[in-house]
Amino acid sequence: MSPTTGMTVDAFRTAARSWMEANLPRRAEGDTEVRKPWDIKDVPAEEFAAQRALQKAMYEAGFAGVTWPEEYGGQGLSADHQRAFDEVALGFEQPDLGTLGGTTFHVCAPTMLAHGTPEFLSVHIPRILAGDELVAQFFSDPDAGSDLAGVRTQAVRDGDRWILNGSKIWSSGAYNADIGMCLARTNWDVPKHRGLTWFAVPVRSRGVTMERIRQINGNEEFCQEFFDDVELTDADVIGTVNDGWTVTQTMLLFERGGGGMRPATPTVGMKPDVVALMDSVGGWNDPAARDAAARVHVDDLVRAALGTRIVAAMRTDPMRAASYASYGKLASGVFDPLRANHMMRIAGDSAIAWADPDSPGAAASLALLNSRFMAIAGGTVQMQRNTIGEKVLGLPREPSFDSGKPFRDVVRDAANWSGKVS
Amino acid sequence: MTAPVGLVSTLTDEQEMLVDASVRFMDATLPVAAIRAVADGGPRDDTSYRAAAGELGWFGFLGDEAAGGGSVSGNGVVDAALIAAELGARLQPGPYAGHSVVVDALTRVGGPSHAPALADLVSGAAWATWAFGDDTSCALGVSRDGLRLDGHVALAVEVGSCSHVLLGASGPDGFTQVLVPLDAPGVTVRPLESFDVSRRWGAVDLDGVTLPSAAVVGAPGAAAGAQLLRQVHLAAVLAAADAVGAMHADFETALQYAKDRIAFGRPIGSFQALKHVIADVSLSVEMAKGIVAEAARALGEAAPDAAELAHAAKSFVGEHSVDVMHQCFQVFGGIGFTWEHDQHLYLRRMSADAAMFGGPGWHRQQLVATVEAVR
Repeated sequence: MSPTTGMTVDAFRTAARSWMEANLPRRAEGDTEVRKPWDIKDVPAEEFAAQRALQKAMYEAGFAGVTWPEEYGGQGLSADHQRAFDEVALGFEQPDLGTLGGTTFHVCAPTMLAHGTPEFLSVHIPRILAGDELVAQFFSDPDAGSDLAGVRTQAVRDGDRWILNGSKIWSSGAYNADIGMCLARTNWDVPKHRGLTWFAVPVRSRGVTMERIRQINGNEEFCQEFFDDVELTDADVIGTVNDGWTVTQTMLLFERGGGGMRPATPTVGMKPDVVALMDSVGGWNDPAARDAAARVHVDDLVRAALGTRIVAAMRTDPMRAASYASYGKLASGVFDPLRANHMMRIAGDSAIAWADPDSPGAAASLALLNSRFMAIAGGTVQMQRNTIGEKVLGLPREPSFDSGKPFRDVVRDAANWSGKVS
Repeated sequence: MTAPVGLVSTLTDEQEMLVDASVRFMDATLPVAAIRAVADGGPRDDTSYRAAAGELGWFGFLGDEAAGGGSVSGNGVVDAALIAAELGARLQPGPYAGHSVVVDALTRVGGPSHAPALADLVSGAAWATWAFGDDTSCALGVSRDGLRLDGHVALAVEVGSCSHVLLGASGPDGFTQVLVPLDAPGVTVRPLESFDVSRRWGAVDLDGVTLPSAAVVGAPGAAAGAQLLRQVHLAAVLAAADAVGAMHADFETALQYAKDRIAFGRPIGSFQALKHVIADVSLSVEMAKGIVAEAARALGEAAPDAAELAHAAKSFVGEHSVDVMHQCFQVFGGIGFTWEHDQHLYLRRMSADAAMFGGPGWHRQQLVATVEAVR
């Protein structure tokens, strides 16, 4: 039994506050900026170990997995308890497990809870909550990103084992992970969506090779994995064999930030990066820079207002929440690059060379490098436009060349593409 | 009943009833076919339209109860924005944004001398319009009988259908706002040909117009400047709301057309070349609704970010409504170039909304000035 079992919301809030006061540093006043996925940098191993230890302490004190089932190590408490916890947590630095914290606790584990067998969950969820098992996403293949159902990494049945071969890419923070949640093809003789299965792959298994990818922004957060005859068992399967697409849809819902959109908080004035850049280049005296800064600020305000609108729409129409979330993703994909362009125009020469790598001009150039992140990652803007067009607006679908035939034939026919529908 | 615009995601029950009744009234009284007849030179019965609209409460959201007004939700700017959006979506006539500005100004700083005019404006017995911008150049002097006003208003929406115009003039005590009865001697209203055929536009010449000193609205000088900013913010939000309604209607029409029109053996909306354009357009429409709703909420609450949001709304909607219009036009193809298709009516309406009460560039300048003032 957990120390917080059966607590009222008020008692839980008080307990959470006193635990955080004793164990976590206070957050700086006004520090509410959400860290962007491309801003995450490598942390030294000992620091990461300390953060894992904090997560474990939080788990042992009864504050991890507030609403998750008790039989798997969660606290089994209500959404009101979670809200109380979140309010208190705003004032303190929470255990920081980098990208992996997000993928583990907000994407992978919730998906596991929705689809995993009781046996699977009783093994993995307590370890996850204790910070002993962090989960990376083994999602995209080098050959399949936006077309996720077209992955070719495969697991082949061999007696009571599965043998995994292939490669995964764009797994954020996987170098610190303990397992990878991996999408693999388990049947090539059915249409692509019906031959997929999810596996929990221990990262340190024999046959798993991991490389970090050097990115244009100087970070090495993304990894690529190579699987050479990696042995798995039925206990590693998440959900039902060949029904992986159902699991995928749940996961995409969490990933596209069913919960990620937040309503606008009223602030006065331009964002700090715009003010700093305008100050550094004397932009307040330049009509062109003033107009560019105004455009950035207008779009920032409008995007915040869109967030408020989407959150409200999701509440009133939860069935279409995932489709509405595509608006947030599309807005980021479209407006991040525009914003970066405006900032580069304001920055001028100061974004080309600098003595101080922390200067606003250097920041503008880095923002340009990062600006297409949301236009590409997690489904390109073109995918969002399809989703919005078809799921929200009810436009008719494009003809499909890969949904009605075995995936094996899809791959063969695509190599002999004529443009004619047989 | 045609579907409402959906400017605000969650309405109070009273707001929902207001929007429903208003949409039914517009559909029954002035459907687009009737708007077209007026645009082609047919008669327009403003008196009964105004009175019925006044009964629905349209003109009182920003007026106090003493004048017969009152909001339905506690936030009169949001209530007015809801109506403005439905007006834009249905190409309705009238000077709604300017009229609301005058009601708001008289309520805040008008004083007892303007109470009879205010009561008429709230009830719908009369319309007023607001002359704002570089197009207004007036001088106020002191005469033996009170005040003497000379000058020129180059452009005011529906001024020929109004009883009063609110305008700013340079006077002995600095910038001064006056409410001018349009039937006063020396006032000449000249109808103009206009791009927007759903509303009538006019110019006003003021030649030695004698006004009582009670025609002044609020205190002259610095106080009038502060009041002017309030008017700019309110007009920006309501004109943007009108444009959002027009964007919504234009977009919905294009969306339906993309589903119905067949080419190359498929509905054209199944082609990604158009589907993606339409998705982008719908993002613009959602963002425009979002910023106008937020700006209206903030202005009605007198929130600290209200001015920034109002300028952002007018700027964003001014530019994106025109983009949306172009993309929808492209979806329609040749049929959009015919007079009988409605898209040009929206094109004209949105273009006028984008320019009136300050264009996108001007509102961006004001936005930067606002931000600098609080630094």
